[in-house]
Amino acid sequence: MAADVHKKKGWEVPNGSLAPGNGQHAERSESPTPGLAQGTEPGKGQSAGQEGAMFVHTRSYEDLTSPEDGGAVVRSPEERRGEPAEPTSMEQISKDFSELSTQLTGMALDLEEEMRQSQEGKLEPSPQATRHDSVLSGKEEEDVTMDTWRMHRKHVFVLSEAGKPVYSRYGSEEALSSTMGVMMALVSFLEAEKNAIRSIHADGYKVVFVRKSPLVLVAVARTRQSEQEIAHELLYIYYQILSLLTWTQLNHIFQQKQNYDLRRLLAGSERITDNLLDLMAHDPSFLMGAVRCLPLAASVRDAVSTSLQQAKAKSLVFSILLSGNQLVSLVRKKDQFLHPIDLHLLFNLISSSSSFREGEAWTPICLPKFNSSGFFHAHISYLEQEMDLCLLLVSTDREDFFTVSDCKRRFQERLRRRGVHHALQEALRTPFYSVAQVGIPDLRHFIYKSKSSGLFTSPEIEAPYVREEEKERLLGLYQYLHSRAHNSSRPLKNIYFTGPRENLLAWVTSAFELYICYSPLGTKAGAISAVNKLMKWIRKEEDRLFILTPQTY
Amino acid sequence: MAAAAAGAGQEKQLAPTLLSFFIYNPKLGPKEGEEEKKILFYHPNEVEKNEKIRNVGLCEAIVQFTRTFSPTKPAKSLHTQKNRQFFHEPEENFWMVMVVRNPIIEKHKDGKPVYEYQEEELLDKVYSSVLQQCYSMYKLFNGTFLKAMEDGGVKVLKERLEKFFHRNSQKQRPLFSQYLQTLHLQSCDLLDVFCGISFFPLDKMTYLKIQSFINRMEESLNIVKYTAFLYNDQLIWSGLEQDDMRILYKYLTTSLFPRHMEPELAGRDSPIRAEMPGNLQHYGRFLTGPLNLNDPEAKCRFPKIFVNTDDTYEELHLIVYKAMSAAVCFMIDASIPPTLEFCRKLDSIVGPQLTVLASDICEQYNINKRISGAEKEPQFKFIYFNHMNLAEKSTIHMRKTPSVSLASVHPDLMKILGDINSDFSRVDEDEEIIVKAMSDYWVVGKKSDQRELYVILNQKNANLIEVNEEVKKLCATQFNNIFFLD
Amino acid sequence: MSREAPPPAEEAAPEGAGGGGGDGGEDGCYLALCARPVHFEKANPVNCVFFDEANKQVFAVRSGGATGVVVKGLEDRNSISFRMEDKGEVKCIKFSLGNKILAVQRTSKSVDFLNFIPDSAQIEYTQECKMKNANILGFCWTSSTEIVFITDQGIEFYQVLPDKRSLKLLKNQSINVNWYMYCPESSVILLSTTVLGNVLQPFYFKSGTMSKLSKFEIELPAAPKSSKLSLSERDIAMATIYGQLYVLYLRHHSRTSNSTGAEVVLYHLPREGSCKKAHILKLNRTGKFALNVVDNLVVVHHQDTETSVVFDIKLRGDFDGSTTIHQFVLPPRSIQPYQVPVAGYLWTLQVKLEPVVNLLLDKGRLMDFLLQRKECKMVILAVCSQMLSEPERGSLPVIATVFDKLNHEYKKYLEAEQSYTMVVEAGQSRSNPLLKRPVRTQAVIDQSDMYTHVLSVFTEKKEAPHKFTIAVLMEYIRSLNQFQIAVQHYLYELVIKTLVQNNLFYTLHQFLQYHVLSDSKPLACLLLSLESIYPPAHQLSLDMLKVSTVKNTSPSSNKYLENKLL
Repeated sequence: MAADVHKKKGWEVPNGSLAPGNGQHAERSESPTPGLAQGTEPGKGQSAGQEGAMFVHTRSYEDLTSPEDGGAVVRSPEERRGEPAEPTSMEQISKDFSELSTQLTGMALDLEEEMRQSQEGKLEPSPQATRHDSVLSGKEEEDVTMDTWRMHRKHVFVLSEAGKPVYSRYGSEEALSSTMGVMMALVSFLEAEKNAIRSIHADGYKVVFVRKSPLVLVAVARTRQSEQEIAHELLYIYYQILSLLTWTQLNHIFQQKQNYDLRRLLAGSERITDNLLDLMAHDPSFLMGAVRCLPLAASVRDAVSTSLQQAKAKSLVFSILLSGNQLVSLVRKKDQFLHPIDLHLLFNLISSSSSFREGEAWTPICLPKFNSSGFFHAHISYLEQEMDLCLLLVSTDREDFFTVSDCKRRFQERLRRRGVHHALQEALRTPFYSVAQVGIPDLRHFIYKSKSSGLFTSPEIEAPYVREEEKERLLGLYQYLHSRAHNSSRPLKNIYFTGPRENLLAWVTSAFELYICYSPLGTKAGAISAVNKLMKWIRKEEDRLFILTPQTY
Repeated sequence: MAAAAAGAGQEKQLAPTLLSFFIYNPKLGPKEGEEEKKILFYHPNEVEKNEKIRNVGLCEAIVQFTRTFSPTKPAKSLHTQKNRQFFHEPEENFWMVMVVRNPIIEKHKDGKPVYEYQEEELLDKVYSSVLQQCYSMYKLFNGTFLKAMEDGGVKVLKERLEKFFHRNSQKQRPLFSQYLQTLHLQSCDLLDVFCGISFFPLDKMTYLKIQSFINRMEESLNIVKYTAFLYNDQLIWSGLEQDDMRILYKYLTTSLFPRHMEPELAGRDSPIRAEMPGNLQHYGRFLTGPLNLNDPEAKCRFPKIFVNTDDTYEELHLIVYKAMSAAVCFMIDASIPPTLEFCRKLDSIVGPQLTVLASDICEQYNINKRISGAEKEPQFKFIYFNHMNLAEKSTIHMRKTPSVSLASVHPDLMKILGDINSDFSRVDEDEEIIVKAMSDYWVVGKKSDQRELYVILNQKNANLIEVNEEVKKLCATQFNNIFFLD
Repeated sequence: MSREAPPPAEEAAPEGAGGGGGDGGEDGCYLALCARPVHFEKANPVNCVFFDEANKQVFAVRSGGATGVVVKGLEDRNSISFRMEDKGEVKCIKFSLGNKILAVQRTSKSVDFLNFIPDSAQIEYTQECKMKNANILGFCWTSSTEIVFITDQGIEFYQVLPDKRSLKLLKNQSINVNWYMYCPESSVILLSTTVLGNVLQPFYFKSGTMSKLSKFEIELPAAPKSSKLSLSERDIAMATIYGQLYVLYLRHHSRTSNSTGAEVVLYHLPREGSCKKAHILKLNRTGKFALNVVDNLVVVHHQDTETSVVFDIKLRGDFDGSTTIHQFVLPPRSIQPYQVPVAGYLWTLQVKLEPVVNLLLDKGRLMDFLLQRKECKMVILAVCSQMLSEPERGSLPVIATVFDKLNHEYKKYLEAEQSYTMVVEAGQSRSNPLLKRPVRTQAVIDQSDMYTHVLSVFTEKKEAPHKFTIAVLMEYIRSLNQFQIAVQHYLYELVIKTLVQNNLFYTLHQFLQYHVLSDSKPLACLLLSLESIYPPAHQLSLDMLKVSTVKNTSPSSNKYLENKLL
């Protein structure tokens, strides 16, 4: 069989070892004794490198499960200081940042150091570890030969170039390792012919491949999304992984050991990825590649922004205040720009864990669009327990925890002094506005994106889009219009779609994008006038819906 | 045609081309090292054996791989940077694969040519349909793969495939110049998806005349099993079932007719007329079979076709006889080989009547034209298709030529139509979509019950409402008795 | 001046042909004598028999003492009998129209009259002819009170005044008369004048007026040797054929002329204008002949062979520019029953159509023939059924011609009917009294006739291959359309039923596309009912409903036709 041929070149050689047996896996998830767990880890030689790896892994594994921090992300700096070897790597990171990425790539860090950093990379997700384990076992229950598994709307797989599983949204990586092997085989077969696989199309679903050396990302989607959109989502997953490891580290790991099992480093991060995927299925932010602001009176927002601005520190690059997945305010270092994707990743990071509510988190994070080779250090905390208002301070200095923590204090102080605190609370009580406010009877929902600011606004999704699948269907329609409007070879300016359940209109200009969803009874003329009314309304409301004057320190 | 200059002096666009086309059956070479046995046909033939095996292997792998996600609905196509591969399993375990290279833009960076593959240009539905038509066409003239296997195993099947796809089946009157060369991948579009039938508009009376003509012919030439009647390459009557007619129609209009220019067109007293074979009381002549009835040596070999292959499985001789713009297909049971006498009889009976009928139709048609008023250049071009009766109408395409059916609008607009069409086919609800392209053309797609209508408007500065009005008008004038839900 | 009654026009084989004619019977004898002949006492020295053309009455007059008269009519079968005193031998005796007044000629100078009006005295009164020393050749009633005397020197037109018991001369004309002939249905009297007698002078009588029509000459076969009367009255007959008055002349075979056998020459005698030779009926034989006209057919009896032939001047013959020459339509046959008892019976002759069917093989000509006959309907329908079923199944072209001929007749009627109603609706009916509602003859065979007697039966039988069945139905629909006759819904249903029974859905589909089965609500519903077995029927019926409700397009418009295809 030709397929076998590929197998050989694909994943059997050189890393002939196939997926670890379930027994081993089960052990890994249950046993608190790393030695054993790792001892059974397949594909292990006895090189010092491996030792280190093992050690580090054990450490990280302990961190994940260590009872004393009870899943809390908060790790007091003292605790960290106690650890050897770290300073170097810390210096390393700060150095990384100050002398911006490129050099780093050139540097030959040995695997051990890599691992250390990666350990930092994984400090943050640890609180989910316990939950993650349950998720993991949950996955194991799913039989990948069952229709229920097949019929998932969107599968996502991440694998190494060696064909080793890195992530699977449904079903355990082990059970899927042979499938992933085939995926890799297909990829490499075509690359052998100086070609590149893009996608496979069949009735009712598509398989999309994204090649991001040293990783391969594959999605199997039954959604109406276009190939590009799915690829776009896979990229998010890729960046998500980078945000934990940095591109540099990722590459080094595989340069050192082609068949390295990346899951060791990512263990615990699955939940973030899962969350990201769920988020993308509901939140148009990712489709729009833009950020949504919390509707807020300009005066209040300005007060907040100035407060943030004033609560600055030398090492701070970005100060971000957000609520849910909506931006309240963002202050940045002069001529440092935060890419929406990076912001989305931050949003996702925060939304994927409730534990940040429990205090101040100090965690390294890579913002791949900003710089994929180094770590920032994010100070994450909620202003008040019951208030859904999260402060995110991004610093370049790993040592600056207290400084940054102090910034938060100062910020809160100023807020209080400015007395906007109450106004904020008010605003938070209604984080979304209703489309009814626009005052167009047949208008059901819309998305307006201002291209210059990378911000968009959209009302709450209301009836008839109440049930989850209805919400997803609506987003699906937006995705459909979006993909047609942005078709790489045949873009469109206007789309008017009349379906049995609703009418939609898309309007794309160099300055903005508008998508409206409209009652099926509405006429085209009605829709046109609605668009004009709506544009007036947004103009009128813009200072409430958008951040018109971005602040810098 | 292969390379159409795309404006920008240095740039050069290379049209999509057929890279390879092969047919295999995994069951035929299951064992390691026997892979070559699976391959039943491979184009281009020159390709080195191992590469053939590898490419077939890839297809198998793709299909197998997708079965893990949908055991019953495996891959239909594979998109890669350089090409697209289309898979079709017309009969169990028989796979047809067509590999089409993406169009390329050839740029020149400091003297060296740089190739840029345009990955979003080919429309899956279009080329999948082309692939399916390849099978239907093969089946029409050869019967099913399985039948060939029954007749004489792999050997016979391979011969038939080679004969059909590579060589001409007949010296004197070839079915196709070279089938794979007739695909014209660069000009495939929505019409290939529909593979519809254009019907000739005709008043009731003339139609009834044709009916009774056909009935009489079938009575007096009693070995005739089925008849089909066309005028101006448009169908008027088919005794065959819809699906068989569909592909036969495709053959007639894209291959047979274009290869026979009509002497009549040159007018009654033109020199060509004099040369016309047979007597001059009528314009009738055979498009298949004997060239000259007066030649006692004349060969009466007619192409064989296979119809109703999934039940009665009938094998027929295809006699195509034409007078002026009227063409009749007589299909007679293959067990009765038509003799020269039969052909002469047919010529003497059908020829004169068909000639008269043809001029009647022409007359009537012109009258009707006058009734409906001279068509002034409309503000729109459209394609219409009805899945129920396969009726197809396009004001976008010029008359079919042996080479291609040329679209009169920019290829990008045609592709937008294709996009809309594939969007429609995802759900079977009635939908309408109006879009404005970057070129400021408006394109409208309308799907109602079994019908699809695509309109391209060339009033660039019209707004949505005006466009909507235009389409309403169009529906009222062109389709006023059609039940369009809106 | 025979004592014997002249052979009544309808009487067949005047010489009471006995025996002979072994053939006939089943072998397609298309001529027959009526079932109930009028019996009368055979002529003998004491009993004279007279026949009155006008009233179709036979008078049996027995003399000796008082004269006893028995009158029997063809129409009214109850005979009248009376007595009158014997004033000498009766030359001629006739009732006026309506049997009011009896006219009796006993002498060559006068005619006696006797009123038959209830309670008016039975006293005869007499009228002598005006012309001195002229002899009355005969008389004929032109109405209930008007009578014409024909003398050897002219004619005298009288009005009878029964209560005054006298006559009033209305008009008279002096002219030498050899013999005369009266045609009651056209009330035209024909006089043979000149020495040779071949110049005929017609007179036309109507409500008290006598008009002289232009005279004409019968061309004799050969130039007469001597100047003696050479046109005998037994070679001339008058008859109205297809509503026109013709003078029939039996021209005998002459050695000089190269004509093969005798022929009947028809002179057309119009109300206005001159009489001219119109038709020649070729008898292709010689000998003694007798003529009559039945159901607009000219029947010629040949004495020697005891057979008869029929001619139909409506059928196509060879036209030589002035006259049309006809061969007989059917092969010679003798009359059935050919055993005619000796005279003493008055027969009427009739043409039987059933045998004709097998004698006229050309179906087109057969239809032309049948469509002109009074009692044709059932025969025609039978012919249609026959040609659709084995063993005598006709070819489609033949079937087509038959359908076309039927529908041609059908259409003529429909048009007449239509224009009549239009006039009536326009209220002009009073303004022209001539206008009458068109009579529907048996030749009008409409769709329901065809459906009930032919097509439905034929499709029910299912003996023919469905291809043929459908071909026939389409041929009939084609024919109707060709004559712009609206096709009835039940015919479409028949087509659809047949197609569905044979699973020919795609055929049905195409018919609908080309509007062969016109849109209608019932049809749409029928289609809708087919949806379960043939899903596309759904769309077809929806479209049809839309069209048949929104009639915004004339079906003739090209667009409309085109749309059908979409």
